[in-house]
Amino acid sequence: MNVLEINNLTKKFGDFIAVDNMSLTIKEGEIFGFLGSNGAGKSTTINMIAGLLRSNEGEIKILGKNIASQSKFAKRNIGIVPQDLAIYEDLTAYENVRFFAGLYGLRGTELKDRVEEALKFVGLLDKQKSLPKNFSGGMKRRLNIACAIAHKPKLIIMDEPTVGIDPQSRNYILNSVRQLNEMGCTVIYTSHYMEEVEEICTRIAIVDHGKVIAEGTKEQLKAIITDTKDIWVDVKSNDSLEESAIKEINGVNTVQVEENVVKINSQAEVSNLNKIIQYFINRNIEIRSLKEQAPNLETVFLTLTGRNLRD
Amino acid sequence: MELWIIYTKLVVVLFLAVSYAHANVDNLPNIVFCLLLYISMNSILYVFSKERIRQGILLGSVILICLSFYDVNPLLILLLPINFYELASPFIKVKWALLALGLIPVFYLPEAEYLYGLVSAFSFVLFTMATRYSEKMMMYEDKLDKMRHDIQRLTASLNENQEYIKQSEYTNRLEERNRISQQIHDSIGHSMTGALIQMEAAKSLLSLDTEKAKELMQNAIAISKQGIEDIRITLKNMKPPTEQMGVQRLKLILEEFSVKHRIKVPFVYKGNMDMITPIQWKIITENVTEALTNALKYSRATEISIEIHVLNRMVKAEVKDNGKGAQRVVKGLGIMGMEERTASVNGTVIVDGTNGFSVTTLLPMG
Repeated sequence: MNVLEINNLTKKFGDFIAVDNMSLTIKEGEIFGFLGSNGAGKSTTINMIAGLLRSNEGEIKILGKNIASQSKFAKRNIGIVPQDLAIYEDLTAYENVRFFAGLYGLRGTELKDRVEEALKFVGLLDKQKSLPKNFSGGMKRRLNIACAIAHKPKLIIMDEPTVGIDPQSRNYILNSVRQLNEMGCTVIYTSHYMEEVEEICTRIAIVDHGKVIAEGTKEQLKAIITDTKDIWVDVKSNDSLEESAIKEINGVNTVQVEENVVKINSQAEVSNLNKIIQYFINRNIEIRSLKEQAPNLETVFLTLTGRNLRD
Repeated sequence: MELWIIYTKLVVVLFLAVSYAHANVDNLPNIVFCLLLYISMNSILYVFSKERIRQGILLGSVILICLSFYDVNPLLILLLPINFYELASPFIKVKWALLALGLIPVFYLPEAEYLYGLVSAFSFVLFTMATRYSEKMMMYEDKLDKMRHDIQRLTASLNENQEYIKQSEYTNRLEERNRISQQIHDSIGHSMTGALIQMEAAKSLLSLDTEKAKELMQNAIAISKQGIEDIRITLKNMKPPTEQMGVQRLKLILEEFSVKHRIKVPFVYKGNMDMITPIQWKIITENVTEALTNALKYSRATEISIEIHVLNRMVKAEVKDNGKGAQRVVKGLGIMGMEERTASVNGTVIVDGTNGFSVTTLLPMG
């Protein structure tokens, strides 16, 4: 089932086009990554999905229902963790979550249970009576997530949730994204940190200047650029080396020996590193260093747009 | 919509006629006169297309009904609601307000207020239904028009592309034929002629100097062998140089541009150019030309670099200048044209003005 369907979405601010005829579908159970540099239109798209901005053209459907005509249904099924923290510093952690869950119509014991569940999920149950002003950046982020998930939405949107926080909190958040996904939530995750997107997302759209320029799993995206990888092995001596024997290894395309460096070009999707190393060990050739160069999403972005993700 | 309203009016008029026929009223001629006046006013309405005139006539009709209500027969007020709705609907957007206004006369009627209420409500229902259906109809017609327009546009571009494919096939064939005839003329033709001359000489020398004739024959054999080898090579190289044509054509355009406008236009290409199809070449060439012209017009650049990069599953063609760029890119007809062209083969165009100005065309392959 399509949790989210976007058709020909366009948003203009004056004559500036922030989102340009964008079409996307996100299926149930995906962790969908929006990868793009600052100002690519990620947040604008998310604000339109959340109903905070109105589009100029196109339509957005949540669980098959148009958000323009069924905005209440859409809002009830979305949880949004905005880029800028949306919590009240003068309310306790518990009160913050209760407030936001209350906005979604939860009442009574159900409200209490859900608030505690959400706080427990983000690991803040023991801090529920504390004020967020005394929290670290990471804890505030986690509280922000608790506010967004207490009403158990089908679709959770996280807009750059790891900006400006410590590595521990970052890992905690990435793990909780995975957990939410295992519990049946579909997640939209935007970031300009390529590593995060590559780590957790099942499908990724590369966005630039308001357009989706490429979309697919990370393997598919990398395959746009190349389907080979380079393995460079620096050896002590190449006396007993036989190029043809390395070529026999599954997946290897070409072998070049330049002085002490053996340059192997291999198909990217075949995992043959073990076999290659095994070859050198069997021949008693000492490996001094080994370098594998496979494309990552950063190279994909750089190659397609000519710019870096972070300027 | 008009038909519905006419039917409603007809029903009311018929109702009045029947009720008068049964009731035996005293000033029947006046009533008939009023009714006829009403009918003629409401028929003449459809002769005019101008909104102003129609409203004027409707207003006249409303006044006529009010006058005849006071002076001729109170029952004639039943004609009022539908005329009133017609007149007021462009000004009052809230439907219920319309109904409420239409019902106001109920309180001032000396008699037959229930009848009036009923007729008013009935007219209201029919009127709103009619307007709603006509609105829907209009929307569908709009949609249909749009779709028709789209189809037309798409067919046009399809035809254009097909035309191009046909043409490029034809050019390919022509160039290939030229190449082969050139080759045959240059090498095989020459060797055949050479061999022929040697054989003719051998024939004349055969009875006089057998040794010499033998030598000449040997030469002819060698030349013929070489000729056969040449034929083989020519046939082997028969693969048409489409990919080279694309690159060459673009190079030619760039060179011309560079000379004409005195600007540096470096051109780099990477990857396997064979993978680019003729239709992709067409789009790339057109987009590059368009981007060059734009750069020349707006950028004040001293150098415009062009890069074509064939990746594993995509072709990327980038035109980038070192000019002043643009913080906010405003799409004009040129960029929209490029986008449309590129979208016809499922590609995208990225326009970026943050560092100089660049137009990147991305076309998927396979």
